[in-house]
Amino acid sequence: MIMIRAIVRPEKTNTILAELNSAGFPAVTKMDVVGRGKQRGVRVGEVVYDEIPKELLMLVVRDEDVEDVISIVTRYAKTGEKGAFGDGKIFVSPVEEAYTISSGAKGL
Amino acid sequence: MKEIIAIIRMNKVNETKKALADDGICGLHAMKVMGRGKMQVDFSVLDSLGAQEEIGGILADGLAKGSRLIPKRLLTIFTKDTEVDKVVKTIIKVNKAGNKGDGKIFVAPVLDAATVRTGERGEAAV
Repeated sequence: MIMIRAIVRPEKTNTILAELNSAGFPAVTKMDVVGRGKQRGVRVGEVVYDEIPKELLMLVVRDEDVEDVISIVTRYAKTGEKGAFGDGKIFVSPVEEAYTISSGAKGL
Repeated sequence: MKEIIAIIRMNKVNETKKALADDGICGLHAMKVMGRGKMQVDFSVLDSLGAQEEIGGILADGLAKGSRLIPKRLLTIFTKDTEVDKVVKTIIKVNKAGNKGDGKIFVAPVLDAATVRTGERGEAAV
């Protein structure tokens, strides 16, 4: 199992969530975060904004579904055709075990 | 070292914290998150509950954005490998009501940890 954490623009989350749902990945957790990237935040004149609001989507999926999820997120999180700075990042990390609390069963 | 990520119902947090503390696991990190699972939620039922619910405000917030997500609490607990089973069992025991939406637990590996105050690394820092 693999955990995918995607940091995306808040205005894009609804589209991404809808697309993930229709692609068969309904389960997702979302949290509000603030952060900056390699561009060291956004500079407007003299002022630097380095705590830019983003939303973090967290999904745990089977190993073979990782590429699907990443392609969906990258496609719909992108601004315009070429994308722009601040569209976000995706991190992929391993998960060893998963349990469903309601049944106590192991696995996704 | 392992990271245990548990997504549970908001009203179960205190019970869970207490049960974990009784087990000797005091360190945890809690976050308010929104989420959905494999089940499709019938939001008309939730709408009829409306503001009577403690979570009503947050729920309305989630619905207003159109994202159709349910408010949950995310607990992150870092433990030694040997204690993972105990923590998972405790969380399941406290949170299990047998209904969909009780939550999920994920166990992920952690490479290293450090205590900021002392600079200890590895297992000693957990």
